[in-house]
Amino acid sequence: MNLATTPLSWNSCLSALRLDRWMMGELASTDAESVGAHVAACAACSTAVAGMRGVREEVRALPLPTVLVRPPVRRRLPRPAVAGLGLTLAASLLLVVRSEVGDRERRKGPGVALAMYVQHGTEVRRAAPGETVSPGDAIRFAVSTPVPAFVAVLSLDPSGRASVYFPPGPRAVQVPAGTEVPLPLGTRLDETTGEERLLGLFCTTPVELEPIRLALQQAQDGAPLPTDCQGLRWSFVKR
Amino acid sequence: MILDASAIAGLYRSHGHIVLRRARTLLGSEADAREALQEIFAALIRNPDAVRSAGSIVGWLYQATTHHCLNQLRKARTGARVLELNVRPGMPESGRPRGEAAAEVRRLLALLPEEVAAAVVYHHLDGMTHAEVAELLGCSRRQVGYLLERAQGLWDRAEQSA
Repeated sequence: MNLATTPLSWNSCLSALRLDRWMMGELASTDAESVGAHVAACAACSTAVAGMRGVREEVRALPLPTVLVRPPVRRRLPRPAVAGLGLTLAASLLLVVRSEVGDRERRKGPGVALAMYVQHGTEVRRAAPGETVSPGDAIRFAVSTPVPAFVAVLSLDPSGRASVYFPPGPRAVQVPAGTEVPLPLGTRLDETTGEERLLGLFCTTPVELEPIRLALQQAQDGAPLPTDCQGLRWSFVKR
Repeated sequence: MILDASAIAGLYRSHGHIVLRRARTLLGSEADAREALQEIFAALIRNPDAVRSAGSIVGWLYQATTHHCLNQLRKARTGARVLELNVRPGMPESGRPRGEAAAEVRRLLALLPEEVAAAVVYHHLDGMTHAEVAELLGCSRRQVGYLLERAQGLWDRAEQSA
């Protein structure tokens, strides 16, 4: 039996790894565009991608394994829960967290809000305008929304490069209605100095994030938002 | 990235399909594939640093799934030998149903050394380039070429002796 022609051998021109990385947003933008164009034009690869998406929907419909099931989400994000971010401090520079709207909860629209928690060493606190935090600190977002919404958090770093903080996948993900529902991924602030701006998106559909990221990078804060999304903007200044 | 329990649950939802799809191919059993899915994410709960040090979540899931499934194939082979089950002898490919041929591939994968079997899985079952295989195995592209060449030789000998 030739290893290249077994019944289990891969049949598409792009590897499964490359297609998975493309689907999960792990490729650089130019690479992702190239893969996307290829998939659109290639029957074998588009069939492979369709199969991958089918399995993805299967897994999303499965109940979470017991080991991953967490206690019910609390209405407030208590200190012990945020402390569970489990990160240690490796910081020397300071970062000022600033709100462009001067509102502690960054509210916009009926009851929609984005909050940020910062873990500095063992101390956890809610970020407030003018508050100083350090690169290397752990941050985690929590959102409030009166109805289920598709949420994403993007950032513009000091060099003007846009990236997606949340979610890890290519589209905004649905968050249930609630007050300060913690988003399931946190991150650690890097040590780049300067101003970092955040854009929280609350959408009615699972919008594709790559076009929004690109528009944000090109137009910076002037980037238009999709019509079915509300945006909340924050600003950090590192100094 | 912080990988606490809720983050890992999020990863299960967003990335679990990568594990399930590949485990189905490698193990040929829906029940075993679902068990692999649970096992790999349970392992992540126990050791979240594993994926953080890998640099790529997708890459880490490929590595973890391959390692888990090859172990399962070897255990199944050992179990069959202990129980003295008859392993179907090799048949000419043209006269063998597709399902049996797939089972034969899995049986032969269980015979190969882990690194060689992993190279076969990545290159032939996932269609990866030598560069992609080298990235996941942490070796040079030349080494990948050696492993694949060795795999074909071992494969041919295993088929002849079956």
